[in-house]
Amino acid sequence: MGNFTLGRYLPLDSPIHKLDPRAKIMAMLLLLITIFFPAGWIGYGVIFVCVSVVIILSKLSVSFIWKAMKPMLFMLFFLLVINALVLKTGTVLFTIGSWSLYSDAVFQTLYIAVRLLLMIMITTCLTATTKPLEMTLGIEDLLSPFQKIGLPSHEIAMLISIALRFIPDLIDETTRIIKAQESRGVDMKEGKLMERVMAILSLIVPLFVSAFQRAEDLANAMEARGYAPGLPRTRYKQLEMKKQDWFLLACCGVLMGVIIWIAWFR
Amino acid sequence: MPIAFENVSHTYSAGTPYEYQALRNINLEITEGKMTAIIGQTGSGKSTLVQHLNALLLPDAGIVHILDRDIKAGEKAKKLKALRGEVGLVFQFPEYQLFEETIIKDVAFGPKNFGCNEEEATKRAKEALKLAGMDESYFEKSPLELSGGQKRRVAIAGILAMDPKVLVLDEPTAGLDPAGTASMMALFSKLNKEMHKTVLMVTHDMENVYTYCDDVVVLEKGQVKLHGTAREFFSDPKKCRELNILPPYIVRMKEMLNEKGFDIPESVVNMKELADYIAKEVK
Amino acid sequence: MAILEVKDLNFSYEEEGKTIDNVSFSVEEGSYTTIVGHNGSGKSTIAKLIMGLLESASGTITIDGIALNNENLAKIRSRIGIVFQNPDNQFIGATVRDDIAFGLENHCVEPSMMDEIIDTNAALVKMSDFMDQEPTHLSGGQKQRVAIAGVLAMKPKLLIFDEATSMLDPDGKDEIKKVIMKLHKESSLTILSITHDIDEVASSDYVVALDQGKVVLTGTPQEVFQQEKKLKEMKLDIPFSLKIADELKKRGVTVDRCITMEGMVNELCRLRSKM
Repeated sequence: MGNFTLGRYLPLDSPIHKLDPRAKIMAMLLLLITIFFPAGWIGYGVIFVCVSVVIILSKLSVSFIWKAMKPMLFMLFFLLVINALVLKTGTVLFTIGSWSLYSDAVFQTLYIAVRLLLMIMITTCLTATTKPLEMTLGIEDLLSPFQKIGLPSHEIAMLISIALRFIPDLIDETTRIIKAQESRGVDMKEGKLMERVMAILSLIVPLFVSAFQRAEDLANAMEARGYAPGLPRTRYKQLEMKKQDWFLLACCGVLMGVIIWIAWFR
Repeated sequence: MPIAFENVSHTYSAGTPYEYQALRNINLEITEGKMTAIIGQTGSGKSTLVQHLNALLLPDAGIVHILDRDIKAGEKAKKLKALRGEVGLVFQFPEYQLFEETIIKDVAFGPKNFGCNEEEATKRAKEALKLAGMDESYFEKSPLELSGGQKRRVAIAGILAMDPKVLVLDEPTAGLDPAGTASMMALFSKLNKEMHKTVLMVTHDMENVYTYCDDVVVLEKGQVKLHGTAREFFSDPKKCRELNILPPYIVRMKEMLNEKGFDIPESVVNMKELADYIAKEVK
Repeated sequence: MAILEVKDLNFSYEEEGKTIDNVSFSVEEGSYTTIVGHNGSGKSTIAKLIMGLLESASGTITIDGIALNNENLAKIRSRIGIVFQNPDNQFIGATVRDDIAFGLENHCVEPSMMDEIIDTNAALVKMSDFMDQEPTHLSGGQKQRVAIAGVLAMKPKLLIFDEATSMLDPDGKDEIKKVIMKLHKESSLTILSITHDIDEVASSDYVVALDQGKVVLTGTPQEVFQQEKKLKEMKLDIPFSLKIADELKKRGVTVDRCITMEGMVNELCRLRSKM
């Protein structure tokens, strides 16, 4: 788990950490859309510079972003192989036997790699600087206009926050059950097919049993403290858009305009 | 061959911000055939220590000698599975490890993993269940139908069916009511005294330690603070309190009576002897 | 005045026999009442019935003069706070602060008022230094203290503890028992505690002993612990001082049946000096 950085929150003290989660989510959406305008290398250069500024402001390290990017490298390599085999346009870079590598294959792959890198930079910027709970609050508020058409935005947010709350507990529980079954001679890593099936069953069944017990306890505790889905309730954490938040959105808007402009005149 | 820890250390999540050293240079020799209690506050490293006994955790430094094996830090351990059959480890709240459709199948699961055939495993399971005090009428029932205390018995039978030489228990009576606790402790005592199994028990319940255990190991912040006989340990209530351990009732009662002018000899160790002595004094 | 009145209560889970069998008892305002009985005696079921988490087959539950029914559940629940056994499974918020706020949100308290209520109640259980901690970094005892602050924030008239200390280590148990005692003494809160802890029972005002869903004994701890025979039938534990008293009785020494160890020591000293 230690090396897994994609989507992880980093508790640092930076101006980006203090921004309103709604502004950050909206900004992320705007930037993600912006990436898909065909603005060429210049366009990507502009976006890259802007996002880099945000990353520097949020005090994230290059290695953190790189670690998030790493799992994607395999996919990119795979893509390069396919492109190299399929794409036969552009200039020939070199030839081995009857096969030659065309420049477009490399460019296409690079193009996608850059997009992917930008997407990861942007999403990491959001998830690493926004506490899961704040994210939930932001999503709840952003979805609230859809309540009119029957979307239970509050219940969705409650669901997400409870799931987030219990993930560490479930991980602990899983480790404990694995150890308990290993003590009974289960080998989680190797064995014949039938043994593997039993090993997985011996983990899954107890996990379900305990998860159900947990759910029942939790439902009782929530009900006893006056929670009932659908009933009106107030919210402790109130979000407030400040100048900086509007500034971020304005910047993203301008950037989007510039990119569209570049794409238009290209 | 005894069970011994030689300069054993263990660190969780080494090299991350969450790094935490649970065991620091442990040197400890457990006497075979005895019932030993491992006590100490939460976070003192008790569970980490016992998980080294069946190699669920491996030492970062030092050597763990267990039965005829040496588990050295940094060496790739071999034949772990066989070791786990010989050192039966019962986790805290073991009822959460039950998963088979019937009780008998669940208990037979362990022996089967260690290479018993169906027939032999079932035979062993039946013996273990009877030993754990489960009536035959339950054998074909689902573990989910049982009460909490019964589930615990079945889970413990699941380990006993492996016929381990050493039985390691992590807080085996947690959450049980007083009657359930007493019968559970009687079972462990029987396994130790009559079937001559070495029993190690992590526990917070000093009444049980005092009544049933031969030896005591006190851990504090990942280090062994004391290792001796239970009798000796509890004869010094001040020392107990220094180690943040509340002495059992009878020790406290003796202490209070002595402060008030009684002179109860050290040889008085159980309720009957105490009553004999008091009766003689006040009659 | 009785703050809680349980009358002729009956309940059974579908598959089993009667879990609660004609149970009646009451809890006086400002008292510390304990419910004892071994596992499976129906203790926790009663707590769930009182909170309206389960529906009884027959009988009445009256809280603060209001009879419990489906219409006034919210009213009832604002008058009772309950702390359950498992510290992990009742911690709902992401941090201590958020968890205490959870009940307030449900009761539609103005968000601007919440901070003050949260801080006051956290201080009552000595959790002020941990306000922004996540539950994974708290001990069991600390989590239970947060649970207590969470229910206190709703200003309940009755506080129920459903084996709230049974999953804690000795230090945690001690912490929680001290907090409960303090609340009872200083804020004169009515406490109903379902427990196995015989020392807690001995220090309470009133005891209700359950066996197989029936009320077997009621009275002050002093009264209840005199019923040796019934206690033995119920396989219920008794205070250590009474175990000594029983042993002494076998040896022909009659002592006052004190339920605390201090009391018994004093009694023995008295007997000795009389010689």
